[in-house]
Amino acid sequence: MLALDGLSKHFGGVRAVDGLDLEVRQGEIFGLIGPNGSGKSTTVNLICGVFPVTTGEIRFEGRNITRAPPHVCLAAGIARTFQNIRLFGHLSVWQNLWVAQNAMADRKASGFLNRWFGGSARARQEVEALLEFAGVAAKADDLAGNLSFGEQRRLELARALAAKPSLLLLDEPAAGMNVEEVGQLRERLAKLRDDGMTILLVEHVMELVMGVTDRIAVLNFGQKIAEGTPEEIQNDPLVREAYLGAPQSAGGGNA
Amino acid sequence: MDDHLVGVLSNIGMISFIALSAYLLLIVGEISFGQQAFFAISAYASGIATAMWGWDFWPGLAWGTAVAAAAAVLVGIPTLRIRGLYFSIATLAFAEMVRLVFEVFKYQVEIDGEMVGPDGSDGFRDIRYIFENDITAVEYMLMIYGLLAAVLCAFFLLERSRLGSIFRMIGQDPVLAEMQGIDVTAYKILALGLAGLVAGIGGGLYAHLTTFVEPKIFNVMLGVHSLAYGLIGGLGTAFGPLIGVAIDIGFLESIRAISGYRMIAFGGLVAVLLIFRPRGLLDEAAVNWIRLRLRRRHA
Repeated sequence: MLALDGLSKHFGGVRAVDGLDLEVRQGEIFGLIGPNGSGKSTTVNLICGVFPVTTGEIRFEGRNITRAPPHVCLAAGIARTFQNIRLFGHLSVWQNLWVAQNAMADRKASGFLNRWFGGSARARQEVEALLEFAGVAAKADDLAGNLSFGEQRRLELARALAAKPSLLLLDEPAAGMNVEEVGQLRERLAKLRDDGMTILLVEHVMELVMGVTDRIAVLNFGQKIAEGTPEEIQNDPLVREAYLGAPQSAGGGNA
Repeated sequence: MDDHLVGVLSNIGMISFIALSAYLLLIVGEISFGQQAFFAISAYASGIATAMWGWDFWPGLAWGTAVAAAAAVLVGIPTLRIRGLYFSIATLAFAEMVRLVFEVFKYQVEIDGEMVGPDGSDGFRDIRYIFENDITAVEYMLMIYGLLAAVLCAFFLLERSRLGSIFRMIGQDPVLAEMQGIDVTAYKILALGLAGLVAGIGGGLYAHLTTFVEPKIFNVMLGVHSLAYGLIGGLGTAFGPLIGVAIDIGFLESIRAISGYRMIAFGGLVAVLLIFRPRGLLDEAAVNWIRLRLRRRHA
């Protein structure tokens, strides 16, 4: 579904991503892990067009999107969340979701009044469903900036889903969450996969990565040092040396 | 009704338009020091239409407003490609250019043996439509407030619409808005055009109330004040800038005992609010709080 082919991004002399080959398959949760500064977030930013690619190619559903700007990638079906929460805090929860959804495909289908005032019945229904999914239905009219940290994280995920993507890029969605919240997030992601979503998950929280992904790639200094199932990765000596550390700490928390 | 009071209220009404104009741009995250230029353009254009071309008041006002809005869009196309501080400086430069053009702009025709029309830095005298047509000061004040009410309704509709949400999104995080597929530059040009239109209504009303406009009235202080009104009153609702105008014109400027201290008090007020309430008294959080309270009471 998504294929990176020799993808590189150089910032001056720094090779943040260096000749990365990856393939994310339809319907899987693909984990991307590695130490800080190994190029995970840069990869996400390259895929969705925030940074221009230095060399290499990105193909999405057979289409070359290497040079596509962010809104074109979004229209193509790639939505994302951010490592640092980015919401429109001055707007209500409802407005955050409504505009994200309306930015997309069915914008021509609904009439003028529906498009500019309140949304069509179907659009409103979809927003309601997303509010339920994020567990913030009771706070639909609150400003997004007034939500708790966990609620904001969930709202950000819901906003990405509002655009009806076929591929979801999640950049450290569990950062700052407690054990219970990580458990809930794991269930949410598993449910999304069951509903047919493809997810690229960048994460440090090993509990989540090992518990929910189908395959994992490990980055170090911008290069892929390993790829495989969670089990294979946990037992890979190279990965243990670069990132996970000794076996007894492999299952827990930040490495 | 007392003449002084009618004068003050008319002033508050007219200045409210330029305050709303600056407010609209603050919503989309741009600080314009140049909204007085569109106020001035409409004052001249509508004055020329009624005093020199013999138009009626309403077509004259509509013409002035349209010229101001068109000028705003034309200015917006190049300037909104630059952002932030650079945009602010560009608007300031544009407004000063407009003022200096009016300082040398001469266009006069002879009407009943007298020369009428803009005469450079001597200004544009005898925009006498409301006197010639026996419109009283109170009637004119009601016209001002009628238009202001219509513009306020438009603002409230805007706030409820997707367009209003998009404006606020652009104001808060233009990069994120762009990533969500919003054409930020196009929407900003639209906002600038609408802001020019709103300022234009005020300018046309102003020219006909005072019967006399001169370029130096439209200096940068008018622009600075109109910005400050929104920042004092709050950026959460269109009532915000009106509160700012009411405090400044209605209270500080119009009560004689304190008018000498106007700029001191005004500057102090702005400084204090920038520290304690950087988005004004009625900021987004306050407005949302009030909105939720009201809804709960009605439910």
